[in-house]
Amino acid sequence: MSDFPAYDVGTVLPTLEIPLDRTTIVATAIASQDFEDVHHDPGKAQGRGTPDIFMSINSTNGFIDRYVTDWAGPNGQIRKVSLRLGVPNFPGDVMTMTGEVVAVRQAEAPGGADEVEIKVVGRNSQGPHVTATVVVAPYRREGAAR
Amino acid sequence: MSGPETDALHAQLTAFVGQQAEPDRVSRYAVNEAMIRNWVEAHEDENPIYVDAGAAAATGRASVICPPAMASTWVMSGLKRYREVQRLRAEGVQEDFAYSRMLALLDEHGYTSVVATDLEQSYLREMVPGDRIRCEFTIEAVSPFKQTGLGHGCWITLLKRYVNQHDELLVEERFKLLRFDPTQKKAVAS
Repeated sequence: MSDFPAYDVGTVLPTLEIPLDRTTIVATAIASQDFEDVHHDPGKAQGRGTPDIFMSINSTNGFIDRYVTDWAGPNGQIRKVSLRLGVPNFPGDVMTMTGEVVAVRQAEAPGGADEVEIKVVGRNSQGPHVTATVVVAPYRREGAAR
Repeated sequence: MSGPETDALHAQLTAFVGQQAEPDRVSRYAVNEAMIRNWVEAHEDENPIYVDAGAAAATGRASVICPPAMASTWVMSGLKRYREVQRLRAEGVQEDFAYSRMLALLDEHGYTSVVATDLEQSYLREMVPGDRIRCEFTIEAVSPFKQTGLGHGCWITLLKRYVNQHDELLVEERFKLLRFDPTQKKAVAS
């Protein structure tokens, strides 16, 4: 078996701080081909009732991938993400990501992989930006991700 | 907007539930390493399996893989089409797809703003360079109207199924968004 961190229930993931600079918010939106003005144009964002541009949901999802695989390593395979957004990520703030293993499901078949369920929260200065549940497993070549 | 009026609008919106939202979205290009690299650099994601074939091979994978959260990127319409859609919307031209008819109906009643609130993705198969992705969209649910901190509005849930060129299911997604009227913003928290 390749390297994968210990994943007992209660295992706490290292905290990660993401500085929310304007360039990061715009670059991640454009990298995902999301041209909605609320993710890059402050004037139009204000016209839509928010004080500034804010991070897109897909960008937040990308930071969740990063946070979980920073911990799980290259052998981690993300199988499921469920996320709910709270307060927006505005430029100039910092999102602090924390995570904890909340459940482990044993592999169903020999040679299969255990599934590790992690609760992830990303908070900025206004409160929780995202609350997510992520299922990650050690990568298995055969029957991977089934 | 008053209760009976929103009830009537909600009933009209509910008629769209279960319908194909719009024609399948087909990726403009195959999953590729350049787009993946731009994404991981923007996210400052150092996981080597997205960019380094050797590191991916060391985990038993046949090639680099695409970050799971990038699924929707492959079926985005691109800036040219985005501008066309914006122009049509500004001109009040309505495309004859269930989802565009539904959004036009919301626009008419002042529910012009949108914010994504929930996302659920199950990854059934890793996406790899060369995959040609197609996405099927279904309008799965419409909530009743309520007052939110952003404005009065309702939630729409879209079911999206991402498949490859062999019609193998890669990702199943539920995407929930709030469509709201920013002018109906009372001092309410919810």
